[in-house]
Amino acid sequence: MAIFCAASLGAVVWSSAPARGVEPVQRSSVRVTPPYEGSDVRGREFYFTRAIYSGYGRRSSSWRIDFPKADVQFLIGVRRYTNIDAYEYEHPLRLDDPELRRYPFLYALEVGRMALTAAEIEGLRGYLLAGGFLVIDDFWDMGEWQNFEYEIGQVLPEYPIVDIPLDHPLLSAFYEIDELVQVPNVGLASRGGRTWECYSPCQPALRGIFDDHDRLMVVINWNTDLGDAWEWVEQPWYPFTYSSFAYKLGINMIIYGMSH
Amino acid sequence: MRSLVETVFEFLFKYRPVVFENGQFVLSAPWPVLLLVAIGLVLVAAPLLSYLRLGGKLSTADKALLAVLRVSLLAVLVFCLLRPMLIVATVVPQENYLGILLDDSRSMQVADDGRARSDFIREQFGPEGSDLLAGLADRFKLRFFRFSESLQRVSGSGELTFAGSQTRLSHALDGARSELSTVPLAGLVVFTDGADNSEDRLTESLMQLRSRGVPVHTVGIGRERFENDIEIARVEAPRVVLEGSAVAVDVMLTHTGFAGQTVQLNVEDDGRIVSAQEVELQGEGEVTTVRAHFEVTETGPRIFRFRILPEPGELIAENNVRDVLVQVRDRREKILYFEGEPRFEVKFLRRAIAEDENLHVVVLQRTADNKFRRDDVEHPDELAGGFPTTREELFQYRGLILGSVEASFFTHGQLEMIAEFVGQRGGGLLVLGGHNALAQGGYAGTPIDNVLPVVLEPRLTNDSSTFFSEVSVELTPFGRSHPVTQLAPTPEESAERWAELPALSTVNPVFEVKPGASTLLTGHGDGIEKAVMLAAQRFGRGRVVAFPVQDSWIWQMHADIPLDDMTHEIFWRQLLRWLINSVPDQVTAAVPKDRAGIGERLTITTEVVDSAYLEVNDAQATAYVTTPSGLEQELDMEWTVERDGEYEASFVAGENGLYEIRVEVNRDGESLGTAASYVDAAEPVEEYFGSQMRSTLLQRVAEETGGRFYTPQTVGSLPEDVRYTQSGSTVYEEKDLWDMPIVFFLLVGLIATEWGYRRAKGLI
Repeated sequence: MAIFCAASLGAVVWSSAPARGVEPVQRSSVRVTPPYEGSDVRGREFYFTRAIYSGYGRRSSSWRIDFPKADVQFLIGVRRYTNIDAYEYEHPLRLDDPELRRYPFLYALEVGRMALTAAEIEGLRGYLLAGGFLVIDDFWDMGEWQNFEYEIGQVLPEYPIVDIPLDHPLLSAFYEIDELVQVPNVGLASRGGRTWECYSPCQPALRGIFDDHDRLMVVINWNTDLGDAWEWVEQPWYPFTYSSFAYKLGINMIIYGMSH
Repeated sequence: MRSLVETVFEFLFKYRPVVFENGQFVLSAPWPVLLLVAIGLVLVAAPLLSYLRLGGKLSTADKALLAVLRVSLLAVLVFCLLRPMLIVATVVPQENYLGILLDDSRSMQVADDGRARSDFIREQFGPEGSDLLAGLADRFKLRFFRFSESLQRVSGSGELTFAGSQTRLSHALDGARSELSTVPLAGLVVFTDGADNSEDRLTESLMQLRSRGVPVHTVGIGRERFENDIEIARVEAPRVVLEGSAVAVDVMLTHTGFAGQTVQLNVEDDGRIVSAQEVELQGEGEVTTVRAHFEVTETGPRIFRFRILPEPGELIAENNVRDVLVQVRDRREKILYFEGEPRFEVKFLRRAIAEDENLHVVVLQRTADNKFRRDDVEHPDELAGGFPTTREELFQYRGLILGSVEASFFTHGQLEMIAEFVGQRGGGLLVLGGHNALAQGGYAGTPIDNVLPVVLEPRLTNDSSTFFSEVSVELTPFGRSHPVTQLAPTPEESAERWAELPALSTVNPVFEVKPGASTLLTGHGDGIEKAVMLAAQRFGRGRVVAFPVQDSWIWQMHADIPLDDMTHEIFWRQLLRWLINSVPDQVTAAVPKDRAGIGERLTITTEVVDSAYLEVNDAQATAYVTTPSGLEQELDMEWTVERDGEYEASFVAGENGLYEIRVEVNRDGESLGTAASYVDAAEPVEEYFGSQMRSTLLQRVAEETGGRFYTPQTVGSLPEDVRYTQSGSTVYEEKDLWDMPIVFFLLVGLIATEWGYRRAKGLI
């Protein structure tokens, strides 16, 4: 309940009084904004860094889905519920940008149409092997899985994707999570009913890639859409179940990624 | 051979200086003194009046000069008529004893004067005899002793071996004085190089001899300065380290005749060279200090050998080698890392030390207000209540890392306890930078401020937003040789590596370290110059390090750092190992040195504290000494009373080899802990170190006891000089002074001067 109330509060702040006079960012807005005036992009402990990657087809810029509202709104919750010194605004970076190495937490979504360039493969591989932590979100069904599996196989061919069990420390890093909730996209969530975007009913999955020392490098949220829950949490009609779970798992992934 | 000065003195004054030093001046006129004075006055008055009557022929100055000459002449005559003499005590021939102490140590084999020092002793006291021996034997009954680590009576030099492993001058003087205490003793004569290498208190021995009136004459054999020699004067190494640690050892070299030359220093572990480097020697008289770096890979007591490869023409090769015993521990040391907020530093620090089996970092991290997470705790109850509130709870750790956590989080009692963790418990404290660390965390004026090696900026409190800078670090001259900052096998390569590392960020500007603290790294960047980036100091029994950066993980993650680069891991492992390397346990065991002579008695000292690190005086401490052959000796240790928690016992190291000393301490049937120490018993090699002839020491011995100092060149006058002494059976001799040649020369000189002056003035 607490998380719901606070998340709602944060959402109200977002929707009714945009920070520092900036217009509310709508879902259609995909521009990459510079740091807001008055905010210092340097010197903070945590940046919710979104991966800018290459894609193909109709959604070749799928990295921008929910951007930046989901990012910024999620950060309101992160700053409210934890004492992480988090940068308040969106922070996108290209996978082939050397600056990426300064930000050990990385978020990428809609990877079903990901098509990494050689430079991006090299950049992401170096990032992960050096100690970076990647969270994947919002891709559905076997077709998109196979595309992601292929792409990540280009990056880390020697490491398999495995299931993360419910008793893994990731799921108790901050909140105790004892079941996986399938978070639907905002349209399905608003209508109620089915929660999947697959051709047939599918279950949410939490998978990961571990390094040689059994350290988690990549967390994969498949058949679920945490980003939409972060993005629309301020709406009164948005189901609490989804937003609560998305915030809990999102914060757990950050805390775990900062300490393991 | 006498010196020229002494020869001239004796020619002019008839007697040698020693007679004047020991004699008492008296006048022994055969006539009444008043008569002599009256005659003298008349004799003085007559010439004075005659000069005054000369009228205008002479000036007043001329008259005065002539009068002075005449009066002086007459005064000398009167002095002679008064029959001046010295009363001097001399020994009665063959009624007194003289102790002859001959140095039988190995350093007497040194051939620094073209031949071995021992040759001189053999010549003087050999069966063929010598003038010196004959001169002494004519006057005294001689008693010979040889001394090195002990004193023994001998009949002559034939029993000397010059193989003694130690020179104990004080012990020898005490022994000889004691042995000859029942006979009339005229003095002691010590033939030695003076290369005393004992820890005995010489002052007390000299005071005893002085109070008993026994003069000690010393004969210094050998040179005060070697022509060509290199010596490892000292090696400063930690006595206990963790397995796998990088160790830095200071080696101090002295030399004569090799200034500016480059020599090779090797460090050997069981015959295997673990470090080799070239060293350029400083000028003569200066100590060349070099730091040797190596990694300890084998556990248990290890003897590391430091060796300077001998240079051609070196006088002594044995002093180019020194052994040091280091106890290498293989155990997991526990460190508490308390972080006030989620930070990537936690993740990357844990990764850096993950494969170090000797370090166990327990993390307590505040993730939200009043919400904590714990990582790597040993049991469910560990830190369940948050940061420790009792000494027992905190002092179980050997190190403490404080991250970005504000001082107001702690109670005053906890702040004091952290300071005591360092000062009393001897733990290691590492303070990291961050928004809530150091001055920004409000630590100025707190008990922790007292222990920090850096000066906190009082202006910068709780206002971290005012400062942020990316800083490139730079190794200081001190850091070049410090074990924490060695990133490569050699200091040069290490310095190059540091210069290549990417910049870190800091929100804690620190520019000053406290007196006694050392700066290892400085930083420069936007708006910041010469900032302190890594500083350390010892506080009480522990060590404290300040590392005011917030993202050392950049040295792991940065795009310029190759994936297989180990800089970040090496730095953290070395830093944490150094931080806790010297942290004491509840029970410690120590012997005064790691290398002892065979037959030497050694004292084991144990310090005992309880789990709160308060001294315990009512414990039962037992030492188990295992000899090199495997025999175990059990010793009850006694509380010393002088110091709380300190217990002692002693044993004699009678075998050649490594002794293991294990101490077990119990109180009320419960174990307070155990400790181990080691000592290597072997033939001491100290005789080859500092073996130059020490004239200063020998002169002091002579002067403080009323004796004289000689060299082989001046020792010929010894038999005559030794006669003049107050000790033993003596008679008093009268030595006339009126017939000294100088009196005659004075009279002639005065007469000639007066005559010449008068002739020059036309008076004759």
